[in-house]
Amino acid sequence: MNLRQILLVAKREYLTKVRTKAFILATVLIPLGMIAFIGVGVAFAVWESDSEHRIGIVDETGRIFPRLQSVNEQRYVDVSAASPDSLRQMVVGEHIDGYVTLGEKNISSNANPEFVYGGSGGLGLQTSIRSDLREAIREERLQRAGVSEEVKNIYDSQIGLDTRKLTAEGEETEDDTGFLTIIGVVMGVIIFISLFGYGGLLTRSVIEEKTNRIIEVIASSVKPVELLLGKMAGVGALGITQLAIWILAFMGLSAAAAPVAGLLMQDQLADASRLSDQTDEAVSNFDPAVLEIPSIDPLLIVYFVIFFILGYLIYSSLFAAIGAAVDSETDTQQFMAPIMVPIMIAYFIMLRAMESPDGSIAVIGSLIPFFSPIVMITRIAISEVPFWQIGTSLVLMTATFAGTIWLSAKIYSVGILSYGKSAGFRELLKWIRER
Amino acid sequence: MAIIEVNGISKSFGSTQAVRNVSFDVSRGRIFGLLGPNGAGKTTAIRIINHIIIPDSGSVTINGIEAGPLTQRMIGYMPEERGLYKKMKVGEQLIYLARLKGMDYEDAKKATKYWLDRFEAAGWYNKTVGELSKGMSQKVQFIATIAHDPDIYIFDEPFSGLDPINSEMLKEIVLELKDRDKTILFSTHRMEQVEQMCDDICLFNNGRAVLKGDLREIKRSFGKNTINLEFQGNAGFLDELENVRINNRSTNFAEIRVLNGESMQGILKTAMEHTEIYKFERIEPSLTEIFISTVGEDNINPKELG
Repeated sequence: MNLRQILLVAKREYLTKVRTKAFILATVLIPLGMIAFIGVGVAFAVWESDSEHRIGIVDETGRIFPRLQSVNEQRYVDVSAASPDSLRQMVVGEHIDGYVTLGEKNISSNANPEFVYGGSGGLGLQTSIRSDLREAIREERLQRAGVSEEVKNIYDSQIGLDTRKLTAEGEETEDDTGFLTIIGVVMGVIIFISLFGYGGLLTRSVIEEKTNRIIEVIASSVKPVELLLGKMAGVGALGITQLAIWILAFMGLSAAAAPVAGLLMQDQLADASRLSDQTDEAVSNFDPAVLEIPSIDPLLIVYFVIFFILGYLIYSSLFAAIGAAVDSETDTQQFMAPIMVPIMIAYFIMLRAMESPDGSIAVIGSLIPFFSPIVMITRIAISEVPFWQIGTSLVLMTATFAGTIWLSAKIYSVGILSYGKSAGFRELLKWIRER
Repeated sequence: MAIIEVNGISKSFGSTQAVRNVSFDVSRGRIFGLLGPNGAGKTTAIRIINHIIIPDSGSVTINGIEAGPLTQRMIGYMPEERGLYKKMKVGEQLIYLARLKGMDYEDAKKATKYWLDRFEAAGWYNKTVGELSKGMSQKVQFIATIAHDPDIYIFDEPFSGLDPINSEMLKEIVLELKDRDKTILFSTHRMEQVEQMCDDICLFNNGRAVLKGDLREIKRSFGKNTINLEFQGNAGFLDELENVRINNRSTNFAEIRVLNGESMQGILKTAMEHTEIYKFERIEPSLTEIFISTVGEDNINPKELG
């Protein structure tokens, strides 16, 4: 193998792609797209809470309805006067979404009230009505039992959980698991998207050389495996460039965001304090530090880069082999599935690891080399992963890469010279067995 | 001394034997033609010489060196399937390809500019290949093949798909290269097209080299056993001739290979009885005829001789 040739190929691959409009657009639009995506999600959530349902209450006791109304004034209407038939009419006629009949037995015993409804609202509505009813009935029961105000307060109390984390040195620190979970998931998702994105780019680049018919000219100067490694390196460098741009932009923005936001908020708070004396305290207690993004451990970034590169190497070698095996982009489908499945599984394991980073699924998943790049980085970000696990996954991924690049080089060196038709799986096996 | 030595190479793809135990030598400063119908194994042999494919058995040496990355730099190769990066600029692309052949950047740039100037194409340097016409990109393809100034030039089916102007230009380039003591090997299935150009030939059929050597000697050894006949009148008499093979026939022309010592005077007599003779000439057989008589009429598909 000749490093000079590999570098020449990599350089061409990198330079021709980094200058394209597509690359520049993607670099700008993908973060904007992600922000828009999150924005749409938030907008949905906000808009969703506005959707109102009207629930009729037939309250035979006259005790529960006022309590329900104090919980949610908009939702509950008193329809005690209506007959069962007219209630059904109201539901069918969509004057109300449904109704609940409450009797003495619902208060004195644990009999479940019945919710009759037209089918709209879904589980969310049912859960919400259930908790409203629980609260109203509990209050009524407490009232009847004549318990003291003190006991009522006990029932009303909402205990949270404040957390502090101990470092390995036994130092107590601010717990930022919430933030780290977000970072871990973002890192996992970036690798997940990158595997597809850059892998697909590589597949297309290989196909391009085949359809342009330049491949044979290149093959008369460069060994197939040199060409393969060069192209992988070029596209990989492209990926790292893009990531670096995003990370720097993110760091720049977040560095600027805290002071700017702090400034804005201080103004607002000052405005508010002029209107009311009560917020004076809030202004003096305001700590700009809460707006600062907790720092990311540099080691985590190093791990991220390592897992990104190893994951890219394992999968991109396979994506390149696909490009060599087919004659046109439309024929890639049958080969894409076996590669996409492990990436998708890794993604789902990562979602699991997000909640329980040290659970058995997350641990085992993070050690399987095809899942490691996505799962392990999420685990490392969120929790303290024993080094033997990280080490094992790195060794296994490296070994897997040795296997995939061997396989890919076999397919690639035969595939790039077979024009005119796409190979099937059987043919690929034949190519691999060839010397 | 032979600059390319091909020693008993064989290559199979699955159950098809593309090349079977083929040997031939190409001497320095000669134009060597690899001839044969489509599918005879010419391209596979050429790819083996270029070290693009590794033979199952046998070996190739170039200048005494086993075929490998080192010998690849001594060769300028224009494959049958031609192509360039469409979105890449002409200048950049030529420099890249020359550098892959081992040139450093400065030399590659100099060579690229020199050849673009020579083809009156200096203005293309910053154009992408996609903007060029087909004929123009063919010229760029030639430059890509020769820019690194190798000793050996290999063209696979060079004339297929070329317009007449580029066809002529390629012939001139080939002859000029020969004058500069370069070695040229090309393959073609259009035998009549290259008869005038080749010094040596190797005839391929079904993966085997069936005949090889100096073209003029081969022709001489076949003797003047062929008649070129031009006439005016009913050509029906040609069908009644016995012990002949008519290779190239049109309304008033026929190339008649005389077999089994059939009398040429008899053929002339028959022809005179039926038509008016414009020309009657005894010649050496054409390459097509040599090919047919070497492999036997039954062993070839005449359509493949295009």
